[in-house]
Amino acid sequence: MRRRASLVLLALAVFCVAMAPTLRWYAFPRLAKIPPNQYQETVLEAQPATLLNYSTLKAEKVDKITIIQTLKGNVEESRRIERDAGRDVVVWDALAYITGPDGKMVSQVPERYIFDAHTQDPVNATGESVDGDPVRREGIEFKWPFLTEKRDYQYFDAQTRTSSPIHYKGTRTFRGMEVYYFEQTIPWTKVPMPKSMPVKIPPEVIAESGLTRWYTTKRMFWIEPVTGAPVNGEEIHKEELRNARALMGVDTLTVFEGHVKMREDYIESVGEMVASNRLTVLLLVSYVPWSLTFLALLLLALALWLEARSRRPAPEPAAPLTPPVSAARS
Amino acid sequence: MRALVAAAIGLAPVLLFILLVSVVDLPPDGPTSPKPLLTADPGPKK
Repeated sequence: MRRRASLVLLALAVFCVAMAPTLRWYAFPRLAKIPPNQYQETVLEAQPATLLNYSTLKAEKVDKITIIQTLKGNVEESRRIERDAGRDVVVWDALAYITGPDGKMVSQVPERYIFDAHTQDPVNATGESVDGDPVRREGIEFKWPFLTEKRDYQYFDAQTRTSSPIHYKGTRTFRGMEVYYFEQTIPWTKVPMPKSMPVKIPPEVIAESGLTRWYTTKRMFWIEPVTGAPVNGEEIHKEELRNARALMGVDTLTVFEGHVKMREDYIESVGEMVASNRLTVLLLVSYVPWSLTFLALLLLALALWLEARSRRPAPEPAAPLTPPVSAARS
Repeated sequence: MRALVAAAIGLAPVLLFILLVSVVDLPPDGPTSPKPLLTADPGPKK
């Protein structure tokens, strides 16, 4: 009986010890993925900011600039690309819509971002674009990979349409959560004119006048490393129009300048969502595998103990009791 | 010998699980959200 129990325990121990690494290194990379139908909006604000008033052609201080950023998973497009790519793909149609203090549009940048649902590596496919221009991303955008590492990543900048390193600058605590802090500085770079502007300037007029748009930014992200999700983001952003004398009377005009931060209610909302997803990922990569490992050791020890007890030699049988011989009475 | 059989019995469900993960597709995630790309502040997040 004991020997049979020890064999059952051994089978369970083998199951646990094999299941632990299987979950961590086989199941997790295949099961953890970004759903293709995700919809997420984020509101960022710069308070105060400098904004070009196109009616006076002067840069003015304003109370607030609002950036409404929407990410919408396009399921039909992801299925179409998956057929060719042969892997799980997510297609995000994104829009950064910038409004002035009066709520009117200042600028808008639509994007299509295509990436691997498991690794978040960019997938170069037809349709990948920024503001209607085809692009070829080489870095991540919006989200870091699951189990983010303490290293620099290539990050795609939508304004310059190029990828450059975003540097890991250390581990911080953000609202009680351990996060990795990343920073990227884009130096002054000539960038294309946005297709949507508050005033319509025909492209040929811009080309004739020699007007150019320049941009610099310092981008900061606080990344929860288990999920790779940003729990906070900020940007110190400056944009100028240069060679503007022919059209606007001055050489250089500030179009926008401000320190853009995520709005408090969105920081809280994203924090709650990340905490919930973090638990799910941790269950697969840490909690369940480690519990199975400890359980395997316990079961193995118990199996060995039972086996040892079953092999212990049986105690010698006690000598039969002989009744005392009573003296025969004569 | 009996120990080996016990180990094999323990490994069998793990191999079955590996097979299941490699063969079975995750359930579909549903259609594209009908919500539009926003062009106005949606207001405070609940």
